[in-house]
Amino acid sequence: MLNMTEMRFEVAEGAPAVLRVRVDLGQSGLMNPDAYWAAVNASSAAEQDERLKPALAEMTVGLQVLVEGEPTTMFVQSYDVDAVSLEAIGNPLTPQMAEVRFGFTGPQPVYLDQVEIRVAQTLDVPWPCLVRIDSFDGLPVSRLLTAETRSSGPVVLGVDGGLSNAGPLVSLALKFQAVLPSVSWIAIGFQHIIPMGLDHIVFILGLFFLSTKLTTLIAQVTAFTAAHSLTLALATLGWVQVSPHIVEPLVAASIVYVAIDNLYADQVARWRLAVVLIFGLLHGLGFASALDAVTLPEESMISALLFFNLGVEIGQVAVLLLAYLSVGWLRRWSFYRTRVVEPASVTIAGIGLYWLVKRLAF
Amino acid sequence: MINLRRFLAILSVASGMFAVEVAFSLVPQNLLAFPASDRAPGEFPDKWIHGSKSAMDNQDPAVQVHRFNAHTYILRENKAINYEGAFMYVFFGNGVALLIDQGSTSSPALFPLRQTVDDLIVAWEEEFDQSGTQLIVANSHLHGDHYAAWNQFVDRPNTIMVGLTHEEVMDYWGFDSYPEQRIEFNLGGREFVVTGTPGHESSEIAFYDKWTDLLYTGDMFYRGRLYLEDWDAWAASIKRLRALADDYPVSYLINNHIEMTDQATVDYPIGTTWQPDEPPMEMSLSMLDQAVRATENISQSGIYTFDDFLIYNEVPWAYTTDP
Repeated sequence: MLNMTEMRFEVAEGAPAVLRVRVDLGQSGLMNPDAYWAAVNASSAAEQDERLKPALAEMTVGLQVLVEGEPTTMFVQSYDVDAVSLEAIGNPLTPQMAEVRFGFTGPQPVYLDQVEIRVAQTLDVPWPCLVRIDSFDGLPVSRLLTAETRSSGPVVLGVDGGLSNAGPLVSLALKFQAVLPSVSWIAIGFQHIIPMGLDHIVFILGLFFLSTKLTTLIAQVTAFTAAHSLTLALATLGWVQVSPHIVEPLVAASIVYVAIDNLYADQVARWRLAVVLIFGLLHGLGFASALDAVTLPEESMISALLFFNLGVEIGQVAVLLLAYLSVGWLRRWSFYRTRVVEPASVTIAGIGLYWLVKRLAF
Repeated sequence: MINLRRFLAILSVASGMFAVEVAFSLVPQNLLAFPASDRAPGEFPDKWIHGSKSAMDNQDPAVQVHRFNAHTYILRENKAINYEGAFMYVFFGNGVALLIDQGSTSSPALFPLRQTVDDLIVAWEEEFDQSGTQLIVANSHLHGDHYAAWNQFVDRPNTIMVGLTHEEVMDYWGFDSYPEQRIEFNLGGREFVVTGTPGHESSEIAFYDKWTDLLYTGDMFYRGRLYLEDWDAWAASIKRLRALADDYPVSYLINNHIEMTDQATVDYPIGTTWQPDEPPMEMSLSMLDQAVRATENISQSGIYTFDDFLIYNEVPWAYTTDP
């Protein structure tokens, strides 16, 4: 274990990717202790290159880095070899580690590319081998290679690749991100409404039940959308900051307001649109605090935000569509208001009140 | 003004939701309690499996599973498989289990740790009417002799792999100020305090279990050769552990290895696969105090001998105190 192999794959914006390998060459199958000691004590750089050439060539062939499933062509950039004594090289308890740095020809991996590191069956290194992948602004990702498990598996760069088997949705989201980054942000935005945005769903339903007129609904939803898009952007970019302890109860209060307004307004008041606009600003702040938990890529934050917002809008439209398909077709029924709108609005108001009390008191 | 009927209806909906929440939050039949106020008893074995004179003739299981108490298990890798004979721990809470460390052998054929832990979880679930227990796979520190079997868990469903880099460890446990910070960690109702204890290794953490009062110190303090890569960090860590023990009651200190013999100051040579005369694994606060005093007296690198442990202050690991 003291002389286990370590690999570190590093990729950053604007810099070529590097694979650093720390390996106990003298204890690997690549060189015997005497050969490694001779290489360490070579009288010139040329002699050292010559002595290490077979081992480095074997490593170059045996180590494989795949980008988006395609093998790259690796080359040795540089190396450092050192040892205190021949006896130390021969003792696995006193590892004398060498570091070899590999570069790649061809297109460099970029954010959200999938990378995989493999050790061929023909190459034996002191096991296990800890692989660390540092990419862009994400947390490093760790994998452990052994004689039996010689591949890191695909790792998406720039995304927390922690091995939490949280379920198929996460895997699907990661796959989406690998294929089409923009689509993935739309999906994440959609998920922030369905199923994660229960309070926003209830609010949208509150807007839905006010009026059977399509133009009224469109006007309200448009005002709401424009407003929350604005505050979402401002808050995400750090220009506006309001504590969730303030925003969340106010979001709940907005639900209560809209539902009670539904109960008492036979028609849309002039100021309803302004009120919905203000509530939209509030809900945008709510989205922003939820988005805090998701790391937006720095280099494409604006586009990610736009696509996220698009996902939110698609989610809202989906809610309205479902509501329409459920009860909207009853809107011409004479009892629609007393048998559908009022009970629904009472329920929405009750749910909003429950959230309001809970968010204030707990 | 809102009329009374509608107001009562709205209030009923809200009250109904609160009632449902309270109903669900009431103690269900199989909710386990881990009160921090009472020390949960437990037992250590009289003797751990300790290898054998001939490793190839060893008859012990690859992994010894010892039930310290109903919700705390201590595992030991067979020294005949790997001389490290590392200890591993499984702590259970409601709906979740924490596995600390994964031994020194990768091959599931030789060291079926995953199978052992899966069987343990199934048996525990059956005994306590639990299901769907999530497993957190974590490490005391990031030396390979404590995560060799990590890969055996990567495809396990309902499992969180904390990770094997410093950053992943810090992120998972929530360290903003490592190592001084004390993190309150709730394992399904069972409370732990997690703090940083570098010195042996730069990402080491210690766990204090408020239910059993056990203080787990990993590789930074055990009955054996304490290999220190950073004396200052280790000295601070030892004092941090003592401060923790001042604030919380500690029953025993538990850890990762036994390398001492039952003779004071004498250790087994590194690589030993048979330790018939090893002392218990658990340690006492008086031993911790001895280590604290050592931090005040030691100022140079070298090997320092104490009855129950040896300090290898910034010396190569292959050294031994064998004459």
